[in-house]
Amino acid sequence: MLRLILQRLLALVPLLFIVSVLTFSFTSLLPSDPVDLIIGDNGTQEQYELVRERLGMNQPVVVRYFQWLGKAVQGDLGTSFFNSVSVMGAVMQRLPVTLSLTAMSALIAILIGVAAGVAAALRPQSWVDRFATLGATFGQAVPNFWFGLILVAIFAVNLRWFPATGFTPITQSPWEWLRSVILPSIALGTASSAAIARQVRSAMVGVLQQDYIRAARAQGLSARRVIFKHALTNAMVPVVAVLSFQITVLLGGALIVEQVFAINGLGTLAIGAVRQQDIPMLQGLVLVMVGLVVVVQLATDVVYGLLNPKARPS
Amino acid sequence: MSAGPATATAPRRARRRFGLASLITGVATAVLLALAFFAIFADWVVPYDPLKQNLIQALQGPSAAHWLGTDDLGRDVLSRLIYGCRIAVIAAAEGTSIAILLGVPLGLFIGYRGGWWDWVVMRVVEAVVSIPGIMVAIVIIALLGAGLHRAMIALGILFSTSFLRLARGVVLAEREEVYVRSARVVGASDGRILLRHIFPNIAPPLIVQVTLTVGAVLLAEAGLSFIGLGVQPPQASWGTMLNTAAAFMDLNWFLAIPPGIAIIVTVLSVNLLGDVLRDSIGRGIAVTARPQAPAAQPAAAGAVSVAGGAAPCTHGKDEVLRVEGLHVMVSGRDGAEVPVITDLSLGIARGETLGLVGESGSGKTLTGLAILGLTGATVRTASGSIVLNGRDLRRLPPRQLEKVRGNEVAMVFQDPTTSLNPAFTVGSQIAEVLRTKLGLGAKPAWERAVELIDRVGIPRPAERARAYPHELSGGMAQRIAIARALSCNPSLLIADEPTTALDVTVQQEILDLFRDLQDEFGMAILFVTHDLAVAADICDRISVMYAGEMVEMAGVNALFSDPRHPYTRGLLSAMPHAADRNPPLPTIRGNVPRPGSWPAGCRFSNRCDFYRPGACDRLVPLTGSGRLVRCVRAGEIELRAAS
Repeated sequence: MLRLILQRLLALVPLLFIVSVLTFSFTSLLPSDPVDLIIGDNGTQEQYELVRERLGMNQPVVVRYFQWLGKAVQGDLGTSFFNSVSVMGAVMQRLPVTLSLTAMSALIAILIGVAAGVAAALRPQSWVDRFATLGATFGQAVPNFWFGLILVAIFAVNLRWFPATGFTPITQSPWEWLRSVILPSIALGTASSAAIARQVRSAMVGVLQQDYIRAARAQGLSARRVIFKHALTNAMVPVVAVLSFQITVLLGGALIVEQVFAINGLGTLAIGAVRQQDIPMLQGLVLVMVGLVVVVQLATDVVYGLLNPKARPS
Repeated sequence: MSAGPATATAPRRARRRFGLASLITGVATAVLLALAFFAIFADWVVPYDPLKQNLIQALQGPSAAHWLGTDDLGRDVLSRLIYGCRIAVIAAAEGTSIAILLGVPLGLFIGYRGGWWDWVVMRVVEAVVSIPGIMVAIVIIALLGAGLHRAMIALGILFSTSFLRLARGVVLAEREEVYVRSARVVGASDGRILLRHIFPNIAPPLIVQVTLTVGAVLLAEAGLSFIGLGVQPPQASWGTMLNTAAAFMDLNWFLAIPPGIAIIVTVLSVNLLGDVLRDSIGRGIAVTARPQAPAAQPAAAGAVSVAGGAAPCTHGKDEVLRVEGLHVMVSGRDGAEVPVITDLSLGIARGETLGLVGESGSGKTLTGLAILGLTGATVRTASGSIVLNGRDLRRLPPRQLEKVRGNEVAMVFQDPTTSLNPAFTVGSQIAEVLRTKLGLGAKPAWERAVELIDRVGIPRPAERARAYPHELSGGMAQRIAIARALSCNPSLLIADEPTTALDVTVQQEILDLFRDLQDEFGMAILFVTHDLAVAADICDRISVMYAGEMVEMAGVNALFSDPRHPYTRGLLSAMPHAADRNPPLPTIRGNVPRPGSWPAGCRFSNRCDFYRPGACDRLVPLTGSGRLVRCVRAGEIELRAAS
């Protein structure tokens, strides 16, 4: 297993390198001159040169890239052009917010998706089955942020069960944290749960016809054990590959759904950075997001290896 | 008789499906036509200027003057919605075209050139794809600035990656095709080859990808406009309208409804039309291929019937299993039930091996599964009794039956590589049975599992116990399956063609193992096989099955030296002998009739050389005392065989 992890980690190095080159060169192409942005309209030529020097802008691009990369590897993503806070600090401050949404919505998507998928596979053509199919069709068409608005209208504005806006850190109050993330997570995770349910259903239907399921039943193992241990373990193998993609989708979706609930996460940070042409902030955000995606991919690879012995390097 | 209702319902069902599909297509087309109409004629059909503010009438609900109410600045929501149609059409067209124009040529190019170009571009694509799509769009918008057209360029770049990969894939597949290579040989230029020979192959998957992209672009545009990076206020788009709605959720939640419904209905229409288009293009996307209902089950649906009444050739007191008058029905897709096993009776004594022999489709395997109560959802045991160690299994509640399985009766299946779970080590699969059935602790269960693996003749058992099924040979896997089946020392073992999937040399070893284990554990074995040579080797008695009933039962020597039923004779003469390899094997003409189409009297009559009209057309009972046979002419045939 350790070997599998190391193997995967090594494969990720070139990816991260290319992403860093892409991010850096893309953001360096920004039309506005950051020095102008910083000193404003009244800046003198001297101030201009000074700031330029401080930002290292008079160095060649390649040199600047490696300086940036060298610091990034050590966890220093530079300083925001705008309020001179450290990018890493700003990102880390918002990260728990976005991670809360992504993780909670992934949890909802997986729990509901797997449960509905198994139920649908055990009873094809039943209401669960039809509902999952219908849900997947609608899930591809309903914007998650609109679904969020509807949830707010019903459960926050009318029923007042949950707060309509805002986020409470889990360290402050786990209960309030749960209340603040539950609606956005449902808005975000529902479409994914339907997609996962369909995957689980088709995989499960295939596995349930396998000889080893019948053999396990013939051996007198209980139906529950056979379905949830013997069948589900094998059915999850193809589903896990889909999960990593779905979690990436959820991470991106979180950036938008945050806006519905006025939650101050990475999405808000990114939108602000775009408006202010804050280059270091954008660079840092992209790198951190790719880092998250990479971690998710690594995790799913490991789970895949655990579920499927044939995938392990021998 | 089952064919009647089946063929009658099939077209009806097809018509209903067709009706629903064309209804969906019609509605979706109408929605998109309406969208196009509003997009083109928005200026003429809107009741109000979408930008005209009227702060006195802000945030009103639907009324006669404003059908969908007004927004925070008193602008007419319906008018803004209609102008939003125009934005949606422009967005979808722009975003998708840019994606195609960027992705397809680049994909064709790198696919055709290969090498360094291909490597670099594909690594970049992989990097872009690993970033959440919306973040990619946000970064590109940072570069270009916000606004509808710029946002669409961003989305075009984002979605071009899927077109690029698609085009590249087609080129890679086609590049080595004979006609492309021959075009190259005759000196066609690269550009000409790409355009004339490869490009036409892209059209079908391209259309599919376009339908997927249009919906995604519409959703992404709405999302970007919603967070303020797409269409800029005061211009009306569905996304910006939702942005406004979000700010006034507590004052007038209805604002969120019209643009939301507009987005959902549009994207749903595009996706559904895309589905229809995909189906009609086909290209191996097998949405239309439906499982052929009746054909699947009958493979196992032959039938075994040992005729009722007579049950003489059993050992009485030592009997482990007694099956009496078993009837099994299979239900077709139309709900009609067809018998697959009729009136089957048999008994097996302790330490005895009873062979169940017949062609595939005669119901042998199903008999084994029916004893375990594991026939599946479409198969039902209709009547009869299955008495194991003095208890009728058919009367046991499911929980009790679950206890009996594994403890008193176990089964070994045909293909060992598929009857072991690929996700767990073989040792843990045996230990699991020991833990759940016998209540052993984890450690004793594992030790016992290793002992069992050792007992079935696998060297280095402790090491092999940690192996996964795919790491073992077929013969070894079957030994493991046997070890698992015997782990709780059952009094009856059902072996369903346990040697058929194995090499001939391994077959003999497994048969020897069965014999050894039977000597040691003393269990009764019901040995299902189509191979008479195997049956002769291991069985004490043999039951011959044909079309859901037992046609003959006798001791192994009697059966081979003196078969009474014409079908048994046919089977024996179809058996290859090592001595005379040269003469062509006589085979029984025709096939086992499928359940539901059995002849009325003797079920073998339509294939039988001894068929006599009248006598063979009545129900034939199983007769005899020491041995059983179901043939009205058994006496004559015996004479003829002797003469």
